[in-house]
Amino acid sequence: MNPDAAIWHDLLSPPLWGRGGEGGVTRSGVRGLGIVDILKVRDAKDVEQAVRAAIAGEQPLEIIGHGSKRLIGQPMTTNAVLDLSALNAVRSYEPNELIITIEAAAPLNDVKSLIDSKNQQLAFEPIDTAPLLGGPASGTIGGTIASGLAGPRRIQAGGGRDHLLGAHAVSGFGDSFKTGGKVVKNVTGYDVCKLLAGSWGTLAVMTELTLKVVPKPERERTLVLRGLDDAAANKAMTAALGSPFDVSAAAHVPKSAFRGASGALGQLGSPQHAVTLLRLEGITASATHRAAALARALSPFGAAEIVEDGTSAATWACVRDVEPFAAKGALGAWPVWRIVCPPAAGGAVGERLARDTGGDVIYDWGGGLIWAALPPKPDAQAALVRTRAEAAGGHAMLLRASEEVRRNVDVFHPPKTGVAALSERLRQSFDPRNILNRGRMTRA
Amino acid sequence: MAIMMPAPDQAVLDRRTAIIKALRAIVPGEGVIDSAAEMLPYESDGLMAYRQPPMVVVLPDTTEQVSKVLKYCFEQGIKVVPRGSGTSLSGGALPLADAVLLGLGKFNRIREIDFDNRAVVTEPGVTNLAISQAVAHAGFYYAPDPSSQIACSIGGNVAENSGGVHCLKYGMTTNNVLGCEIVLMTGEILRIGGKCAESTGYDLMGIITGSEGLLGVITEITVRILQKPETARAMMVGFAQVEAAGECVARIIGAGIIPGGMEMMDKPAIHAAEAFVRAGYPLDVEALLIIELDGPGVEVDELIKRVETIAQACGSTFCQISNSELERNLFWAGRKAAFPAVGRISPDYLCMDGTIPRGALPKALARIRELSQKYDLRVANVFHAGDGNLHPLILYDANRPGEMERAEAFGADILRACVELGGVLTGEHGVGIEKRDLMGEMFSEIDLNQQQRVKCAFDAQGLLNPGKVFPTLHRCAELGRMHVHGGKLAFPELPRF
Repeated sequence: MNPDAAIWHDLLSPPLWGRGGEGGVTRSGVRGLGIVDILKVRDAKDVEQAVRAAIAGEQPLEIIGHGSKRLIGQPMTTNAVLDLSALNAVRSYEPNELIITIEAAAPLNDVKSLIDSKNQQLAFEPIDTAPLLGGPASGTIGGTIASGLAGPRRIQAGGGRDHLLGAHAVSGFGDSFKTGGKVVKNVTGYDVCKLLAGSWGTLAVMTELTLKVVPKPERERTLVLRGLDDAAANKAMTAALGSPFDVSAAAHVPKSAFRGASGALGQLGSPQHAVTLLRLEGITASATHRAAALARALSPFGAAEIVEDGTSAATWACVRDVEPFAAKGALGAWPVWRIVCPPAAGGAVGERLARDTGGDVIYDWGGGLIWAALPPKPDAQAALVRTRAEAAGGHAMLLRASEEVRRNVDVFHPPKTGVAALSERLRQSFDPRNILNRGRMTRA
Repeated sequence: MAIMMPAPDQAVLDRRTAIIKALRAIVPGEGVIDSAAEMLPYESDGLMAYRQPPMVVVLPDTTEQVSKVLKYCFEQGIKVVPRGSGTSLSGGALPLADAVLLGLGKFNRIREIDFDNRAVVTEPGVTNLAISQAVAHAGFYYAPDPSSQIACSIGGNVAENSGGVHCLKYGMTTNNVLGCEIVLMTGEILRIGGKCAESTGYDLMGIITGSEGLLGVITEITVRILQKPETARAMMVGFAQVEAAGECVARIIGAGIIPGGMEMMDKPAIHAAEAFVRAGYPLDVEALLIIELDGPGVEVDELIKRVETIAQACGSTFCQISNSELERNLFWAGRKAAFPAVGRISPDYLCMDGTIPRGALPKALARIRELSQKYDLRVANVFHAGDGNLHPLILYDANRPGEMERAEAFGADILRACVELGGVLTGEHGVGIEKRDLMGEMFSEIDLNQQQRVKCAFDAQGLLNPGKVFPTLHRCAELGRMHVHGGKLAFPELPRF
């Protein structure tokens, strides 16, 4: 036993470190001003114990898998970390049932490889935040669902919330509970999975998740339109998404955003040429047919080049991970906003924001998602960004900023009073003592 | 009644006259109904075995009125049961003797059609089909299509998280709604979401969808609409054994094909539907699959070939492919009319709604056959085979003493079997009162307590649609308390009904 971890020794009975295996408590290093206790758990029972000890000790817990998204959210003041990384097993994978059941800290990339081996995928195309945040890790499946950051295919297939079928979790009462099931169609009881997805670990500690997986399309084709300004690109994407051709992704990268772009996306455009990208997926005959038909339908916006399969996939991975704003790139030091708005309003919001701030924007979801990298200011220009987003019927989250900036700015878009009060009542219904990721979503 | 409802509050019933007067001050004219004869249509919903006249029916037509009615009821401690079109198959809109029945039928206007953002803003009383019809001229439609879509309201669809034959590919209601205006029991009006793909903070739209009218009253909904696929073709494939049909379904999915719809009927259901609709169903097969492929013509043609090959490999004995819209609709007509068709061959029937893992289908059917013998009642099976959602229709005659109770016991055993096989109690019809007392088969007391705490965050007094979904009523103060469990029931003294 590590004598420094005495506080947890008193609180945990039996103690986590007394049962062999790789679990335990360590007092490892200094974070901020205080010492950090790391509680490494091995199973849901350990999580229950740790949460109950935290309740008794009035010690809030920061919940991490790989810690890949620790730089997102309001800075927390916890001195105890609940480390779930040992909960990483695949419990069952049944390709013919289109479901997989996995422990929460299974690495996202391992899960993706596993289902890829059966020609299946996570349809919501989760974003890998490592390039944007500059961290080494891509994170876990639990963190992916808890953060709910869906990629380009969200417009067609939905977000993480649409693919979480069931979960086991430990609430702030220290109780394990389950919600949902292991089938794709289920309305038994409240759909608590929806609340857990996107709750950033503030409601419960997920220990096991059941996700819907879907067959991978055999082929993909991406139409590339060049030289459109933001307004025209928004119109082209709106036309494409209103067509019967089942567009699975629609993005626009304005020319100035190419100052930070490299990789497959950097090959397609340049600081002189914006690109608008429209993806079609399916069996060969269908993808080819629809790409040609969509190119004809969009001919008023210019001639389209068609990019296929591997190149297309690599390009969309750049869009998904917001590669032009990567931490290691030219705009790496700038704060990055994630603005969600009605898709047809996106072009006007983004274009004005870029012009007024000297920042750069990238559009995904047909204009419904705007990534904005703005020149650094102490408040990351929060008031301006939020006014513009709200005026369009949208909202904005400060996804990347220094700890100092995040201390002074609401990272998540503050909801209206009534909705904020209801959200707080909901949070309390899961975690009345505010033990789990205290203060991550709302500024004190 | 086999299912007990919360005992009426005599103190509330004693104040009925004053309550009606107060409600009339909020909703003028014909919006308040209190005569026994006029309240008759509201006595039950689609679960017609259960009837209960409400204390009074109120039909507001503005959000303001809904808010005032709820605020009044909240202050007076009066229960409220919301109702859309009353097509629930699980008793979600069953009235209570001491409750106001709040009908949303007058909220029947589509407020905005926004093709650029692919969204429709509608009032909750608009029917599911009316939304698709309102956008059809531009080639759009609203994807979830419950079989009752000509009658069921979009508000009810949100409350129940309704599915339909196309939800395998296009998702349930929850995957197709973007936002709503909701009135809480206190009368507070909230706007959730909008035309954005997702909203900020917790996914309130997600928890509201499928909450069976227990969390709030929805007064406006924003749904997303899709462009219709270029073409759709259906195939009918017959099998000499149900197991072979189940294997075919698994192999189609395994081959990476997600059809627009994939339905299965067993022999009794095929015969009933064919006698009713004359869709040309083969009568000499044990199981019939109706598989619809949609998309561009080249894709549909190719996928039909692939499915045909798979079906042959699984030993299909019959295969017909639609060559026109007329024919495609005819294939579906039998399936969509399966419930009324079964209604013709039996005085009464009970429609069950469990979901199982697809692979467990043969086991589930064998179990249903055994139970059919045990309870001595006939059963016809229709399934949303693609997503494992079973609809066994139990045939009985309510006029024969004891038969309804036997049918209910049979149904409960089927649902228990679904849970045992790794499935769930309800795939799309909701828990309501029908499956309420079976919730313990799937959830522990702790699981249910957490769900009920969610309810408390919306409706701390438990006035909205009580007696539905949860087998035990808890007071919110008790649920919020920290306590030691040790695997024991938290409140063994509380009444269960």
